[in-house]
Amino acid sequence: MLTYSITAGLVFGLYFCLVGLGLNLVFGVMRIVNLAHGDFLMLGAFSAFWLYSLLHIHPIATVLIVTVGFIALGIPLYYLLVPRLLKAKDPEMLSIILFFGFSQVIEAITTISFGPSDRSIPGRVLGTAPMHVLGQSLPSAWIVSGAVSAVAVGCLYLYLYRTRLGRLTRAVMVHRDEALATGIDVNRVSAIAFGVGLALAAVGGVFAPFMLGSFGPAMGVDINIQSFAVIVIGSLGSPMGTVLGGLIYGVSEMLMQTYFSSWAGLLPYVLLILILLIRPSGLLGKKVRSA
Amino acid sequence: MAKFCNNLKRVIRRDTMLTKMVTGFVAAAVLTVSAHAAPAAPSEIKIGTLYASSGAFAAISMPVYSGLKFWVEQKNAEGGVFVKPYNKKIPIKLVAYDDQSNTATAATLYNQLITQDKVDLLVADSGSVLTSVAVPIAREHKMLLIDQTGTGASFFTKDNPYIVLTADPVSSIWPKYVADFLTKDGAKMGVKRVALLYATNDFTGTQATAVRNFIKAAGSQVKIVYDQGVPTSTTNYTVLINNIKATNPDAVVELGYPNNDIAFLRNLQDSGVKFNFVFNIYSGLETSHLLETAGAKAMQYTYTYVTSSVLHYKPEFGMGLDDYRAAWEKKNAGGKITFGFNAVAGYTTGLVLENALAKTPSMDQLALRKTIGDFSGKLKTLDGTFQIDEAGAQIGEITPLGQVIPDGKGGVKFTVVYPPEVATGKPIYPAPQQ
Repeated sequence: MLTYSITAGLVFGLYFCLVGLGLNLVFGVMRIVNLAHGDFLMLGAFSAFWLYSLLHIHPIATVLIVTVGFIALGIPLYYLLVPRLLKAKDPEMLSIILFFGFSQVIEAITTISFGPSDRSIPGRVLGTAPMHVLGQSLPSAWIVSGAVSAVAVGCLYLYLYRTRLGRLTRAVMVHRDEALATGIDVNRVSAIAFGVGLALAAVGGVFAPFMLGSFGPAMGVDINIQSFAVIVIGSLGSPMGTVLGGLIYGVSEMLMQTYFSSWAGLLPYVLLILILLIRPSGLLGKKVRSA
Repeated sequence: MAKFCNNLKRVIRRDTMLTKMVTGFVAAAVLTVSAHAAPAAPSEIKIGTLYASSGAFAAISMPVYSGLKFWVEQKNAEGGVFVKPYNKKIPIKLVAYDDQSNTATAATLYNQLITQDKVDLLVADSGSVLTSVAVPIAREHKMLLIDQTGTGASFFTKDNPYIVLTADPVSSIWPKYVADFLTKDGAKMGVKRVALLYATNDFTGTQATAVRNFIKAAGSQVKIVYDQGVPTSTTNYTVLINNIKATNPDAVVELGYPNNDIAFLRNLQDSGVKFNFVFNIYSGLETSHLLETAGAKAMQYTYTYVTSSVLHYKPEFGMGLDDYRAAWEKKNAGGKITFGFNAVAGYTTGLVLENALAKTPSMDQLALRKTIGDFSGKLKTLDGTFQIDEAGAQIGEITPLGQVIPDGKGGVKFTVVYPPEVATGKPIYPAPQQ
């Protein structure tokens, strides 16, 4: 049971790396808290559902569609919301209020449009037979979701550390004003990062039906709490810290289910409190943040 | 002569006084009697309720609300509902607020319905979680709580007359047939080891306790080898299923809300683990919803409650199942809410209210409660026989145990397997390995 819990936890954790990644990228680049992150994930799930139900598009193909679609949605949304926000005295606090309202609007519109009921995509779409990983048998849908999450993390790494745009993005993450002073088009770099953040959330949403059983308009709040736990464990503002946070969260969740199942719901909160008490900057955090 | 005249005047004066007094008494009596015979009727009967259009409980709340609203609209189309104290039909005004599945919001809104809107009848939102906050509020305000589907056993105490459960049985007796089947028929088929997995809320937590107690009381060879609660927010069961498998059970009883059951059934199917007997609640309660989310394959050969959304009880009051379903679907065309047991539950609540208003001697809350108690056991609707105990808990409308069978057309049908007097077929045990 212990080995199975750890193996399943690692795969589940990989998925939660993906879930937290976009939130941490947006915070790292803009220092704004996107409380609508979970709702963008939900929109990704709905996109996958409708594309599969109406056009029979496979979720793997949907990943590409939502990536392009949500980057395209994120860039104008950035220009609409964020630059004004960053001019405020306390953009972090104001962003919490703004995106909380935005989250409520998204949830309400989705509920009105599609009803309150949960939906799902059949698990067999990602494979019918369970797969064997490290000697343990896991649902193929989990393995595929975990693999896509790993690929997404890899792509983000390449984007941040192997491209010119990535270097500019990291420069903005380290010091926005200095980046501006050196002539970097901070708004353009931030807009693309915002789009990428939303796209990562949407890709997480594509696999929500397989990892979470079902999805509905109200799922955003729970996803936000889990995402915050993941990124605080790793390090707030460091996208790669999210990987460690996700894996720790996933394994802890599965161990809790095995040994203290009734208390498993408290896990995100307990981890948040513990990390904030012991190491407020996160496990990979430094006193002065650098990308 | 003068003395006689004086006496005569005195008698006449006294008679006038007497006449005036008698007249006064008669007039007062007439006024009192007429006041008792027909008090001024209100222009509308206010029914206050809550619904959850979003959040965790929307899937079970909206169908219940749709059923209640259906009944209100039906009665208003007939000119209102007959209210005995006023001896006439009075239109119903449904005062409904959205609690968004939030218990704190619900508590505020229940208070608002009682103190600001001054509703005549208070109807709870669906499910034990959103009903739990209404119980103390209703009691404090001496307002009868019409509890639609909040089945938590802790809501019902002999010292609280201000609650009545209308549409499904109290959780402490609901799983009786499941436990009876496992300890009697199941034991004969070789069931010895039972795994119990439940979501930790009033609804399923009480049912888990009931299963434990029934199995213990049966004194059979059946024993519980796995007994774990999980948060209601649980959305993945893969590891839990593996842990259950490690205990080698003959039967698995999983008790949860729709999202729990969907995740459990999907994870069970995807993991490739096979159990001989799997019970879950919502395959029977919200069949359409589970077909759309978990899928027919995941539901096949599992056991569930067979409810009035499938079983055809012979109603003596209100519409029959087929007529109601057709009318409900016409009203709710658009497909945002699926028809299931909860849609029947809301309508059943309406039928109970209709009976109460037609028979109550007054609109006093305890008079209404007494009236409902008086017709307990005598009201037969599409939901079965309405029967409550002295604490207001529903002890009628018990759902038989059924097995979900493939219908050969990609969907499912039900075979009632227990109790024997209503069984429509034999259980397929062990479940076929698909």
